[in-house]
Amino acid sequence: MKSFLKRPAFRIAMTHLLSKKRQTIVAMLGVTFGIAIFIFQAGLMTGFQNMFIEQTVNTSANVRIYNDVQVAKKSIYSKTLPDTSQSWVLVRNQKPKDEEPRLKNGYQMMRIIENHPEVIGVSPFVGSQAIFNMGIAQVAGRVAGVDIERENNTFNVEKYMIDGDLKRLVTTPNGVILGEGLAMKLGAATGDIITVSSAKGSALQMRVVGIHKSGVVELDNSRAYINIRNAQKLLQVDGSYITDLNIKLKDINKAKALAADWQKQFGYTAVDWETANANVFSVFKIQNMVTYLIITSILIVSGFGIFNILMMIIYEKMPDIAILKATGFKDKDIRTIFLTESLVIGIFGGLLGLIVGWGLQQIAGSVKMDIRGFVAMEYLKFNTSAGFYAMAYIFGLVATALAGYIPARKAARVDAIDIIRSK
Amino acid sequence: MNSDIILETRAVSKFFRDPVDFQALKDISFKISRGQFVSIVGSSGSGKSTLLYLLSTLDTDYEGEILIDNEPLHEKSKNQLAEIRNEKIGFVFQFHYLLPEFTVLDNVMLPALKLGKYDEDTIRKHAYEKLDLLGLGDQAIKKASKLSGGQQQRAAIARALINNPSIIFGDEPTGNLDSKNAQTVFDIFRELQLAFNQTILVVTHDAQFAGSTDRRITLKDGELLSDEMLK
Repeated sequence: MKSFLKRPAFRIAMTHLLSKKRQTIVAMLGVTFGIAIFIFQAGLMTGFQNMFIEQTVNTSANVRIYNDVQVAKKSIYSKTLPDTSQSWVLVRNQKPKDEEPRLKNGYQMMRIIENHPEVIGVSPFVGSQAIFNMGIAQVAGRVAGVDIERENNTFNVEKYMIDGDLKRLVTTPNGVILGEGLAMKLGAATGDIITVSSAKGSALQMRVVGIHKSGVVELDNSRAYINIRNAQKLLQVDGSYITDLNIKLKDINKAKALAADWQKQFGYTAVDWETANANVFSVFKIQNMVTYLIITSILIVSGFGIFNILMMIIYEKMPDIAILKATGFKDKDIRTIFLTESLVIGIFGGLLGLIVGWGLQQIAGSVKMDIRGFVAMEYLKFNTSAGFYAMAYIFGLVATALAGYIPARKAARVDAIDIIRSK
Repeated sequence: MNSDIILETRAVSKFFRDPVDFQALKDISFKISRGQFVSIVGSSGSGKSTLLYLLSTLDTDYEGEILIDNEPLHEKSKNQLAEIRNEKIGFVFQFHYLLPEFTVLDNVMLPALKLGKYDEDTIRKHAYEKLDLLGLGDQAIKKASKLSGGQQQRAAIARALINNPSIIFGDEPTGNLDSKNAQTVFDIFRELQLAFNQTILVVTHDAQFAGSTDRRITLKDGELLSDEMLK
C-alpha cells in the first residue's frame, strides 16, 4: 500500500483530482449524497423491520399450537353414498358440530414440549372473544387466560407493563391487565372495576390491576390478560381446558422445522412466527425492493457524476496520456491512474456519506414521533449496525468503481500517435 | 552482428487503409550506429513522421523489420514495447508535453520512477544532473507550466535523457521555437553526442538544422531519396 502511494500513477491521479478541486468535490458529494440516503432510508426501513421482528419474537409465541376447528364439513349423509359424483346431496341449514377449540391433553403436551432442548418455555393459554363493559362504555376484545408466571417467564410481560403490578393478577381474585388501547377506549384505570362477558353468556366483575403495552398496536387495542382459571370460568369449561400452547425457542430460526415436527407429533395445528406474520413480511419484501431500487438509482446518478469528471479530465489530459505512453507507461498504468481517481472519490465521498447518514439518523431519531402503525413507537428506529454501514459503503465503492472503469478503459486505449500528430 | 548498430530497418513498408489504400513508406532500409547525429528530412507528406513513429515503437502496424540494439521489435507485445520505450528511447517532440501541474523536477523524474531501477533519492539526484546539464538546475522546483517555451523544450530533453536511452528521437524538436532557442536545442544535441556519444535521430523540416547534422536521410513520397554523410 505504501509503495502504491509513492507510485507515479497514484501521484498523477491525486494531482489531477487536486487540480480540479471543485469538480472533484461535486463528484464526491454525489457519492456522499448517495451513501447518506442509503444509510438513512434503508436504515429506517430495516430498523423498523428489525424492531417489528424483535417485538414480535419477544412478545408473541415463536410457535403456537392450537386446534384449528374446521366448521364447514361434508354432510354426514353424503358419506354413506359410494360415489358422490353420481348423485347429489342437499342438506339445508346444517349446524356445525359442537366442537370446542380445545387441546386435548394440553398439559401433557406442554410437559413433553418443555423437555425439548430447544425450548425456553411453554405457556398454556385460553383465548376467547369477550365484551368489556365499564358503565356505558362497551368494547369488544379478547381475553387471554394465562398462567401469568409462566407467561412472564416466557414472554417477559412485566417489561411491557406501563401501570400497576403483574403479581396482583395472582393475588387479586378477579384481576385483569388491560391492553393500553383497550383501557383507553373503556376509560378504565388501574383499580377500576369492569365487567367481562363471554360469548357463552357468563360475566365476571373484574378489577383492573395493570395496564400493558406490548407496542403491537392491534394487540394493545384488544387484549386483556386474565387468570387462566377465570378464563375457564367465563367459558364454563373444566380446569384442563386450554386452547393454545405458546412456545418460546432458543433459536427462532428453528421455529419452522419444530412447528412441522409438533404438528405431526400431536395432530394439532402448529404455526411458527414467520408463517403467522407472513402478510407483514410480504409487505416488508415489497418495501425493501422499492427502497433498494431508489437507492440503486441514486447511486447510478452519483456514478454519472464520477463518469463525467473523469471524462472531462481525460479529454483535457490527452497530451499527458500521450507522453506517459510514449515514455513507457503501459495501458494498465494509465487505467490505474483513472481508476484510482474514481476510487479516491468513492472512498472519501463514501466515508463522508457514512458520517452524514449517521448524522441524519441521529437527528431524525431524536425527534419524538409517536407513530402508531403496525407497532407503536415514540421515536424512529434506525438500523445502525456495523454490517449495515459496511454494506452501504461497499455498495458505494462498487458503484464508483463501475463508473470509473469505462473512462479509465477509454484512457488506456488512447493512441499516443493520434495525439502527437494533431499537435 | 554489429554491437555498434543502434537502430536498423529492413525493408520497412507502411500502408494506410483508411480512408483509401495508400502506401506511406516503401522498403526503407538503413542502419544507424552508436553516436551518430542523424536527421530525416522531406517535404510534408513524405512519410518522415510516419517513419519516426514506427522506429520509436509507437506505431506497430508495418511490414519489414525494425531492430533497436539488435532486438527485432515486430514480435514484441504492447507491454514489452512500452518497456523498451521506457528504458531505451528518449522522446523530444515539437510540443514539450510536460505535465503542467507537476514541477520540472517531477516531470524529469517520472520515466525513471516508472522504470524503477533506482530509489527515489537516486533518481532525484540524476534528474538534477540532467537539469544542470541543460542549464535548468535553478528551475527544478517550478511548475512546468511556468517556464518559457525554450526552457520547457530543454526540460523535455532532460526528461528524454533521464533513463540514459540508447537513442533519442526528435520529432520537429525545434518546430515551435524561435531561431535562437532552435540553435540552443541543436547545440545541446551536439554536446550530448560529443560528450556522451549519444545517438540522436531527428525528423525536421528545418534545412539549416538538418544541414548541421552528421547524416541526412531524405524521404520523398515514402521512398528513401538520399542518405548523405555530411561529416
